[in-house]
Amino acid sequence: MSFDGPFMIQLALGVVALLTALAVVAVREITRMAVALGVFLLSVAGLFLFYGASFLAAAEVFVYVGGVLVLMLFAIMLVQRTDAGRAALESRHDIGSASVAIGLFVMLTVALRGVSNRFQGSPAGSSVPELADVLMGSRLVQYEMAGLLLLVALVAVIVIAGGDEQ
Amino acid sequence: MTGYVGGLVFGLSGGMVIALAALFGVWWERKVAGRIQMRLGPTEIGPAGVFQALADTIKLLLKEDITPRQADKKLFRVAPFLVFTPIAMSLVVIPFANGWAPLDTSVGMLFYLAVPAVSVIGILIAGFSSGNTYATLGGIRGAAQMISYELPRTLSVLAIAILAGTLAPVEVMARYEWWWFPVSLLGFIVFFISSVAELNRAPFNIPEADSELVAGYFADYSGIRWAIFMMSEYGGIVATSYFGAAIFLGGSQGIGGVLGVLLIFLKAILLITVIIWVGWTFPRFRSDQLLTLAWKVLTPMALVQIVIVGVIIPWL
Repeated sequence: MSFDGPFMIQLALGVVALLTALAVVAVREITRMAVALGVFLLSVAGLFLFYGASFLAAAEVFVYVGGVLVLMLFAIMLVQRTDAGRAALESRHDIGSASVAIGLFVMLTVALRGVSNRFQGSPAGSSVPELADVLMGSRLVQYEMAGLLLLVALVAVIVIAGGDEQ
Repeated sequence: MTGYVGGLVFGLSGGMVIALAALFGVWWERKVAGRIQMRLGPTEIGPAGVFQALADTIKLLLKEDITPRQADKKLFRVAPFLVFTPIAMSLVVIPFANGWAPLDTSVGMLFYLAVPAVSVIGILIAGFSSGNTYATLGGIRGAAQMISYELPRTLSVLAIAILAGTLAPVEVMARYEWWWFPVSLLGFIVFFISSVAELNRAPFNIPEADSELVAGYFADYSGIRWAIFMMSEYGGIVATSYFGAAIFLGGSQGIGGVLGVLLIFLKAILLITVIIWVGWTFPRFRSDQLLTLAWKVLTPMALVQIVIVGVIIPWL
C-alpha cells in the first residue's frame, strides 16, 4: 500500500465518512445533524464508486440522499417552529439513545463479521447487466418478496394514516 | 497525477461553460418571452442585447452579500452551492456529440436522475436557514413537489432504457431508431412535464411564487449567492433539454463530427424554447392541482408507457 492518488482519495473519503458519522451522533441541533448525514451518505457513495460499484453508488444517492434524507428534512421542518428563534429541536444525548446506538453497532458488527469472509474478491453483480442477471434470475423470488413486503408496508401506512375516513 | 490535474481543468472549464450557458439562457428567455408578448426584450447592450445578461452579472457581483440576522449563518451561506453543485455534476453524463460524453458510464441515465435530486436538500436548507416564514414555506413546497415528480420522471425514462437495453446515454443515442419516438411519445410528454416541475419553473413555480411568497426559498439571498440560484436554474434547463434531446429525440442520430454536435444542440435549443414558452403562457398551478397531476395523471401515464413498450418488445 503506497501513498499514491487512489489511496489518498480512499483515505479522504473514509475520513470524511467517519467525521460526519461522528457529527451525526454528536451534533445537538437536528438540522445540522441531517446535513452531516447527507455528507456521510455521499462519501459512502463515493467509496462505492471508487470500488467500481457504480450502480450501487447511483442507487445510494438516489434512494438515500434524494429520498430518505429529504423526507427527514421535510419532517424536521414541519415540526420545527421557525418564528421563535433557532434550535427548537435538539438531541438530548441521554443514556437510552446511547445504548440503542451501541447495541445496534455491536449487532451489525457481529452479523457482518460472519458475512464478510464469504465475499472475497470481486462481488458478483457490480456491473448493471450482471446485477440484472442476479436479481431477475437466480434471486427472482427473494427480489419479488422484498417488493411485496414493501407494498404491504405502504398499504398499511395508508390504512393507518387515513383510518378516520371510513 | 496528470489525471487529477486534467480533471480539475475539466471541472473548472465546465463551470465556466455553465456560467456562459446561464447568461445565454437569461438572454434567450427574455428575448423569446418578449417576442411572445409583442415586446422586443433587451436591445441596448451589444447586438440584439446579447450582453445585457453580462452587464447584469457585473451588477450582481458588486452588490452586497447580505446574511439576515435571524439566519443560521453557516447553513445559509452554503445552501446555494448545495443547489448548484448537483445540477452542474449532472451535465457530466450528457452526450454532447455522437458517441462522446464527458463521463461515459454504464449507469449514466440513473446518474442523471439521481444526482440533480440532491439539490432538493439545498433548497430545503436555503428555505429553512433563512429564518423567514416565506422562505420556509417555499422550501417545504419545493421538497413536496420535487419528491412527487421524481417518480413519474424516473418511470418515463425507463421506457427508453427497455427499448435500448442499456442505461448509458451514449449507447442509447447510438442505438436510436426513428420509430422509438412514436412508441415512447407518452413517456416523453411525462418526462418533459415532470422535468419542468422538477426545475421549479413556471407554471410549476409555487416554491418561488413571487406574488405570494415573494421569492420563496431564496427570498433572503442577494448578490452573488442569488446569482448562483439563477445559474442552477438555467443550468438545470440546459441539462434537462440536452438529456431529453439525447434520450427521447435521438440526439445526433449517428451523425459524427460538427454536424452531430450542431444537431443535438438545435434539438436542445428547441426544448429550451418550449420550456420558456410554456412558462410564459400558463398560469401557476395551485399546490393541490400540482400533486394531483403528479400522482393521478403523470404516474399512471408513465406506467401505461412501460406496458406499451413491454408489449411491443417481444414482437421485434
